[in-house]
Amino acid sequence: MATSNLLDAHFDDSEEDDDNFNPQPADLSDAEDAAADDDQDAGDQIRNEAAQQQSGDEGSDEEEAANNEDDEGEGEDTAARDDDEEEDEEEEEDDEEEITGHRRKRRRERRNQFLDVEAEVDEDEDENDDDEDELNEIKDNFIADTHPDDLADLPAGGETDDRRHRELDRRREMEASLDAEKQAEILRQRYANKNRSGRAIGDSAVVPKRLLLPSVDDPSIWAVRCKEGKEREAVFSIMKRIEERLGTKNELAITSAFERGGTQSTMKGFIYVEAQRQADIMTALDGLMNVYPRTKMMLVEIKEMPDLLRVTKSPSLEPGAYVRLRRPPKYAGDLAQVIDVTDTGLELRVRFVPRLDYGLHDDSNAPVDAFGAKRKRPTAGPRPPQRLFSEVEAKKRHAKYLQGRPDTKTWTYLGDEYINGYCEKEVKIQTLITKDVNPTLEEVTRFASGAEDGTENLDLNALAASLKASTANASYLPGDVIEVYEGEQKGVVGKAVSVQGDIVTMAVSEGDLKGQTIEVPTKGLRKRFREGDHVKVIGGSRFRDEVGMVVKISEDRVTLLSDQGNTEITVFSKDLREASDSGGGGSLGKYELYDLVQLDPSTVACVIKVDRESLVVLDQNSQTRTVMPSQISNKLDRRRHAVATDRNGSEIRLDDVVKEHGGEGRSGKILHIHRAFLFCRSDTSTENSGVFVTRTASVATVSAKGGRIAPSNVPDLNSMNPAMKRNPPAPGDMAPPKTFARDRSIGQTVTIRRGPYKGLLGIVKETTDTNARVELHTKNKTVNVPKDALGFKDKISGQSIDPNSRGGFGGRGGFGPRGRGGFGGPTPGEGGGRTPMPAGGVERTPAWGTSRTPAGGANGGRTPAWKQGGDASGGRTPGWADGSRTVNPYDGSRTAYGAGNRTPAWSSGAKTPAYGLSDGFAAGSKTPGYSGGGDAWGSKTPAYQPQQNQSNDSSWQNQPASNNWGSNAYDAPTPGAAMSAPTPAAMNAPTPGVYSAPTPAPYSAPTPAAAPTPAPGWGGGGWGAPTPQAMDAPTPGAQQGYYAAPTPGAYGMPETPAPNWQDDGPRYVD
Amino acid sequence: MFFLYNLERQVTLHPSYFGRNMHELVTGKLLKDVEGTCTGQYYIITIMDTFNISEGRILPGSGLAEFTVGYRAVVWRPFKGETVDAIVTSVNHVGFFADAGPLPLFVSAHLIPPDIKFDPNATPPQFTNNEDSVIEVGTHVRVKLIGTRAEVGAMYAIASIKEDYLG
Repeated sequence: MATSNLLDAHFDDSEEDDDNFNPQPADLSDAEDAAADDDQDAGDQIRNEAAQQQSGDEGSDEEEAANNEDDEGEGEDTAARDDDEEEDEEEEEDDEEEITGHRRKRRRERRNQFLDVEAEVDEDEDENDDDEDELNEIKDNFIADTHPDDLADLPAGGETDDRRHRELDRRREMEASLDAEKQAEILRQRYANKNRSGRAIGDSAVVPKRLLLPSVDDPSIWAVRCKEGKEREAVFSIMKRIEERLGTKNELAITSAFERGGTQSTMKGFIYVEAQRQADIMTALDGLMNVYPRTKMMLVEIKEMPDLLRVTKSPSLEPGAYVRLRRPPKYAGDLAQVIDVTDTGLELRVRFVPRLDYGLHDDSNAPVDAFGAKRKRPTAGPRPPQRLFSEVEAKKRHAKYLQGRPDTKTWTYLGDEYINGYCEKEVKIQTLITKDVNPTLEEVTRFASGAEDGTENLDLNALAASLKASTANASYLPGDVIEVYEGEQKGVVGKAVSVQGDIVTMAVSEGDLKGQTIEVPTKGLRKRFREGDHVKVIGGSRFRDEVGMVVKISEDRVTLLSDQGNTEITVFSKDLREASDSGGGGSLGKYELYDLVQLDPSTVACVIKVDRESLVVLDQNSQTRTVMPSQISNKLDRRRHAVATDRNGSEIRLDDVVKEHGGEGRSGKILHIHRAFLFCRSDTSTENSGVFVTRTASVATVSAKGGRIAPSNVPDLNSMNPAMKRNPPAPGDMAPPKTFARDRSIGQTVTIRRGPYKGLLGIVKETTDTNARVELHTKNKTVNVPKDALGFKDKISGQSIDPNSRGGFGGRGGFGPRGRGGFGGPTPGEGGGRTPMPAGGVERTPAWGTSRTPAGGANGGRTPAWKQGGDASGGRTPGWADGSRTVNPYDGSRTAYGAGNRTPAWSSGAKTPAYGLSDGFAAGSKTPGYSGGGDAWGSKTPAYQPQQNQSNDSSWQNQPASNNWGSNAYDAPTPGAAMSAPTPAAMNAPTPGVYSAPTPAPYSAPTPAAAPTPAPGWGGGGWGAPTPQAMDAPTPGAQQGYYAAPTPGAYGMPETPAPNWQDDGPRYVD
Repeated sequence: MFFLYNLERQVTLHPSYFGRNMHELVTGKLLKDVEGTCTGQYYIITIMDTFNISEGRILPGSGLAEFTVGYRAVVWRPFKGETVDAIVTSVNHVGFFADAGPLPLFVSAHLIPPDIKFDPNATPPQFTNNEDSVIEVGTHVRVKLIGTRAEVGAMYAIASIKEDYLG
């Protein structure tokens, strides 16, 4: 038997895991050897026992067969391997423990191997890799010698011990004789094995955890209803009960009880009890307060059990933190500050700003039990605004409800306690909102308790905590430089690589962990900046979107210098993000910083600050105001070529640097020029973003004086171009003036001179540049005709006219007259020609030219003359000079003057030498008149003044009358010099005809007096007749009358009057 | 820090300049366009010389000729940590502004040694430690750049005098 055992042992050893046996010889530690020997013995004994059940021969054969089989049946092996490996691990572990453990284990294993032959051996085989094969072979070879002996000796068991010892010795010898290489291999193999098992240990680390998971055999967990908010109490009472009944007969059969309550929990109103049977729970919880085991109990599924125990760290509230109230409804949503927290963390003492109306809206007729009504009230009406408690107010109506001492500022009012104006209250945490509080700065400032000295001390830390809690989800982006400030990895700095939910993967960039990538919850993270970093404010702070450079960092508060306002702002680092280098200028909608905007028709303003929803603008009166974009009527584009003059008269343009003269002496670059206002920006001032308003008249140019810089994008070609240098460009001719007015041809009567409609008469209805639509008189039809095929006709006379001369068409007073009786004849003829003259108040010149050829050169001068009294002399002179007694001047004058009559009159008279002198005259008399007045107006006045005096007029008139302004008379007028005063006056007066345009008013004023009178008096009738017709209703009338007064006397002659006027008239007629 | 850069630029020339001395004109225009400008990264202080003026290529449509000009320029690129001398341009309670050549910079009150305080009552306002250091407009200071900000055509910097040998 013993031999068989031995054989078995050997066989096993060779085949088996080296850990168990084979390596031992190789192992040089004696202790191990000894142990191994013991082991061996022990193992053998056991085996012997076991082997007795089998016949040794069979056993050995079987085993061999099994080996073969195993080699073939790999599948089985793998299946079995897991278990084996586990066992191996355990072995390993045990190996590392004490030797006693060792033994036991091995023993067990041996036995297992023995009983469970196939599986065990297989595994061993498997475990022996090819590497080992060689060794095995060696061993086999070596042992093979003994095998037969052994086999043979099996039945004879006498010298078993001896043999064994010998064999051991031989093996040792053998191994000693093995060359080092082989030994090394053996060692390697052994350790390789160890490694493998080491690996297995790694795996096993997971396994036990899995094994720990609840199974069907474990007690189950039931969810039991309880009163909401009383979960913890219920659990405590269960605990108490367990202790009470411990060791008694009716011990509680539950394993555990726990709750998942908490304000934010979705599992409120349940406690969880673990027990084998539901009935146990019923008995255990029977009669407990706040627990309702008899309502439906829910069995928690096995796979959900672990989730029940997952710990989520509840946000801990600390004094100073901010929360929101949920109840009472009056304060729903209001911000409150935590003052104190009870030990359990379930109740808090908070303070908040009360909303009281101090009985202001109380119904005085309400029942005395006002409380019931009161409670309802707040929900009904609008709630009173938040205001600090005022005992004065309270005393007014509710003195009876008010108790307290003024010295401590502590009051009790309507059951609530008010301290320092705040309402303080004990509340359950359930009635509070503790997450996502997001207090706004306004709300928080209400809690900024005014200190004794009146300074506000805002607890930034508390605020930070609240904000941090609320926005712990502060957005981290890959690339952010972050720092861990909490937890085990505190102090680690790195760069965010990726962000998933609350976990940030960061590549550590400093310290021992450098180069590693770790995952951190966002909770313990903050962004890290360095001084000089260019950052942008994100997040909820009111500085949102400001961009600036970091100038100071303390803890997680970062001070930065805003790019825009040159102001310093302090924000939490979580609200910052590294900004791209090109900071975006602020803009809101279409309005940007430094834009010029129109607020109302009379006010413009420059944007000096852009907030999230509003703009701060500086208006032209140097006042800043905050406006919404909707309040801005429009944006004024920067007029690149706007020019203004400074106080010295030099021109200033945009971007010039100017300095204020007087005042504060600020200097800055011009941003905008708006009328007389300059919006300038100085870099040195921080007020209003450096923008200030001043008037153009109060600044002086500092730079850009003289040397004006050409826009850089367009190089000044002229200065560089050699070709240009050679041939300096001749001053260009002025382009013909463009007419912007509406096409004058519209409404004109025209004949068509060409085309199918040739000869037809019509009225122009519409025009384009080239074509006109003409409504034909003959057919009721409108046709398109090229403009150049049109001939313009006077509506009344049928004469051809020039459509571009305004007067005619305008049907101006001037023209009408022409149709006048006396003139009628002549006028029209000239009318055509002349019309232009009067017509173009402005363009008259040419008109004059044409009409009055003779006047010739003078025309130019004249025309203006006509316009302006000042030039009148010139203007007239020619007319007079011509002595163009003809109608021409006459008409011309008349028309122009409206009072034109005179002129002709003059002219008629003018013919006379006096007028011949005309030049002189003009120069002399008139000019003086004019010169005196410089302006026509000026001249007029004097002229008029005399005229105004009836006496003057009359006298004057008389004079002419008597003198006969006639030819002689004119000489006289020269003598007029004699009359000096009057004549020029008169002269002037006529000239004033010029006035017609401007003066009417004045004329009318003075003249009327004269006018009427003269009209009748002077045979004005005659005049009167023409005048009205001729003259524009208003002015001319007046003028004429006026003139009539003076001139008529002398000249009255011209047209109609002629007959009436006796002498003069005839004369004129000549 | 000053560098000698080899740069390249496209210069366009109006047809009226085409002629013998075109290259001079190109160079002239280059100087005019480039010298003293800021690219956002550095300031081009001066152009040493030009080389490799390419053949002109007429731009279709405008008739301008485009030359590619290589030139060597002295540029100044301010770096973080660089120490520069500057002249104070304005002083207020949050700090002072100064110009280091073309570069405007700001020194915050946080970055001024704590013993140098703002004195609003002085005329002009100044930072002073009531001894030898007085920082007012026009004062020469030596500062260390701690941050630069680049914009399209300009640069700004923040600097500190809160270290030894600065101020």
